[in-house]
Amino acid sequence: MTDVVSSDGLVAEGISLAFGGLQVLSDVSMILRPGVITGLIGPNGAGKTSLFNCLSGLYHGQRGHSSFAGASLKGLGPAQRAACGITRSFQNLAMCPDLSLLENVLVGLTLKRRSGWFSAFVPTPSQRLDQQEAERRAMAALNELGIASAAHDKPSDLPPGTLRLAEIARAIASEPKAILLDEPAAGLNAVETRDLTRALKRLMRPDLVLLVVEHDMDLIMELCEQIYVLNFGKMIASGTPAEIRAHPDVIRVYLGDDSDD
Amino acid sequence: MAVSDLAHVSKAGVPARAGHVDLARLSVLALVAALLLLPLLAGGFLLYSLSLCFANALAVLSVSMLVRYGGEVSIGHSFFVALGAYTVAIVEHRLGISIAVSLPLAALLGAGAGFVFAFPSRRLSGIYLAVATMALALALPEVLIGFEKFTGGFEGLYIAQDLIPGVSKALQHYYIALAVLVAVSLALAHFRKSAQGLALLMAQAQPRAAEAMGITRSWARVSIFTLSAALASLAGALTGFASSTVSPNSFTFFSGVFLLVGSVVSLNGLSLSAALVGGAFITLVPTYLAKAGDWVPVLYGVALVVVTLVANAGDLRRFLPRGRAR
Ligand SMILES: Nc1ncnc2c1ncn2[C@@H]1O[C@H](COP(=O)(O)OP(=O)(O)OP(=O)(O)O)[C@@H](O)[C@H]1O
Ligand SMILES: [Mg+2]
Repeated sequence: MTDVVSSDGLVAEGISLAFGGLQVLSDVSMILRPGVITGLIGPNGAGKTSLFNCLSGLYHGQRGHSSFAGASLKGLGPAQRAACGITRSFQNLAMCPDLSLLENVLVGLTLKRRSGWFSAFVPTPSQRLDQQEAERRAMAALNELGIASAAHDKPSDLPPGTLRLAEIARAIASEPKAILLDEPAAGLNAVETRDLTRALKRLMRPDLVLLVVEHDMDLIMELCEQIYVLNFGKMIASGTPAEIRAHPDVIRVYLGDDSDD
Repeated sequence: MAVSDLAHVSKAGVPARAGHVDLARLSVLALVAALLLLPLLAGGFLLYSLSLCFANALAVLSVSMLVRYGGEVSIGHSFFVALGAYTVAIVEHRLGISIAVSLPLAALLGAGAGFVFAFPSRRLSGIYLAVATMALALALPEVLIGFEKFTGGFEGLYIAQDLIPGVSKALQHYYIALAVLVAVSLALAHFRKSAQGLALLMAQAQPRAAEAMGITRSWARVSIFTLSAALASLAGALTGFASSTVSPNSFTFFSGVFLLVGSVVSLNGLSLSAALVGGAFITLVPTYLAKAGDWVPVLYGVALVVVTLVANAGDLRRFLPRGRAR
């Protein structure tokens, strides 16, 4: 499946991934276009996080190919893909317990930092500027998600909802070209989910690739223009929210059981 | 940044809580002031012991730094300490130059040696890395005796040159070691807030998430080991300077273990006071327990076990190979 139009987005083609005898992804293809919020849904264990891991370089599929902005991602590990401008959040919160919430978000800016090893130990004017700029961006990201007031708290003192939002703040703080969010609304209450939806919509720019994995169907239907449905490691449907709602396979495997989830 | 910032790094990642900040800062300032004034009252032997204590505190910091920022244990840091001490001695003997040059040179050589060791072993962790560092410590006496021409063999070398001519040796040793210790504590307080410091803490707590932020595991491991070795070597340079001599006896396998004991006793703290506790423990205890002779390692062993179990039971996991999960 080669698509000329898609070459400026994040593209996965024919990805297959197996762990031992367990086939987790079979021939999965996906096109994430810039300027479009793409959703990925599917039952538990469908392989959504695994596909995420393939896109962010944590897993390498046995077959298939991915590219970003026309350049192949073949053989690139997670750090190199981060350097290409791809960031992600983690389904199981990945906060460092020693760092404050603000510092946890600051780490997301590591690749943007300009201070060298000398200024890591000795304060210098340029290091101070770099620090202020990074803190400004991290605070802006926390503000965007409405959790700036918790900036100086430790993760262990905060509710999971706040940590979830901080995870997203960290992914957006570096102003990346592609953002992959793994269940960003898990553990959020209704108000937080609404705020998150608004924040993600505000975040959208014409050149940004945004992928959201969610169980919350209302959120996905409201947020996304393009939705992919994964079931048992196979992509069973893709289309607009209306098309997905009407798709017989989707109704059978997913919406049928979970329509009021 | 002021000396008062030292209070911030009681533990990497646990800044003093708002209400306690002033008290903590004041007590650190008071401690530094007391140490500055002490030579007015104290006699030669106490000054000598304290100079060694400051140098050892730096060596303990180098191990604690590796534990805090790298999550790793080294029992072979005596190798890097010896490298620093012998750098000072050999530079003086061969080139006739004082620590003004050999102190920074020691830190650089330590960084180089740390890098050379860390790069091939960057995939090792836990007990495997600890054993690899042990090999360094075990090889050390052989190396020192093998290169007799440079190291003076069993006899070792004397270090006699002053940094500041005209000032008594005891005072020089004391104040220079103290100044470097305070400077390093300040630098470590600053490091905790730096981009690199944050990245290392994240790489240790959440290696996969850190990778996705561009912080690779190899970068983290090689960086922290290089830094830690540089600090250990700097500490060794001061140990040599403060004791006026270097010999293979001062760098046995046990000195590497003692450094780890010092780090555990100070709860792997990176503050000035934690370093002093660790340094004092491994300096003063053997001096005053000299009569116990061969029992000193046993006492250390007991202290290591007791402190580890009582204060920091969770840290025992650090000695085990880490699971691959998360
Ligand atoms: N590292 C791994 N080793 C072995 N099996 C794995 C690994 N990662 C994922 N799997 C398996 O792959 C399958 C898909 O898991 P995945 O986490 O991708 O699903 P998911 O769609 O994200 O599910 P959920 O909605 O629960 O998050 C599961 O059966 C899981 O056990
Ligand atoms: Mg998942």
